[in-house]
Amino acid sequence: MNFPTIFSITEDEIDLNNLLAQVTLTSTGAAAIFTGMVRGETSRGEAHETDYLEYEAYIPMAEAKMKQVADEIRERWPVIEGIAIVQRIGKLYPKTPTVLIACTAAHRDTGVFEAARYGIDRLKEIVPIWKKEVSPSGEFWVEGDYTPRPGE
Amino acid sequence: MDVVNMNHVKLLFFATLRERAGVKSMELDVPLDLTIQGLKNKLSEEYPNLKESLKSVLITINREYAFDEAVIPQGAEIGMFPPVSGG
Repeated sequence: MNFPTIFSITEDEIDLNNLLAQVTLTSTGAAAIFTGMVRGETSRGEAHETDYLEYEAYIPMAEAKMKQVADEIRERWPVIEGIAIVQRIGKLYPKTPTVLIACTAAHRDTGVFEAARYGIDRLKEIVPIWKKEVSPSGEFWVEGDYTPRPGE
Repeated sequence: MDVVNMNHVKLLFFATLRERAGVKSMELDVPLDLTIQGLKNKLSEEYPNLKESLKSVLITINREYAFDEAVIPQGAEIGMFPPVSGG
């Protein structure tokens, strides 16, 4: 069977219903969807407010690495049917969805939740995307803490 | 050095590296046997603004992660950026 894999970097609004339809097959009975959004007020750690985030990406490499993340998901959870990985870039304001990972399977007890979790965790490790946080007190680039190894 | 014996490469900068370099990309001729470490040393000398960022920079060659000892292939597209922060 040919399972759908969608990966893209976009400046457009993330259309959850459209993406979900694209990763739903007649055999699908469960979808785990993770989406992240811009948080306007942060209380964990050093409390602060955020006006907006500005995202940029190394687009062709980012899309290739998203494909790699999808391949890794399929290797670990072969029962996963559809996978969608989408990152929105540009200037994004609080409450706006910025990223979406959707994995589908026949049933919910197949690892579908873990697969979506793995997808967002790996995106944050190896997919070349960055965000600059702009707040009332100034602006700074958010930097991750992961150093890819050879072959990643 | 004779340009014929040089490797013409394209550098792409992102996030903090782009802001410190002041450009999104640049093209330059480097020796044929230059490694990533050698390129970092050369950029640190020629672009002092980049020196601090180059300590924790991630490097890619032709859209795959690359490491200090790698020799830069002919006509490579080299990406330089801080640890990623998507999501």
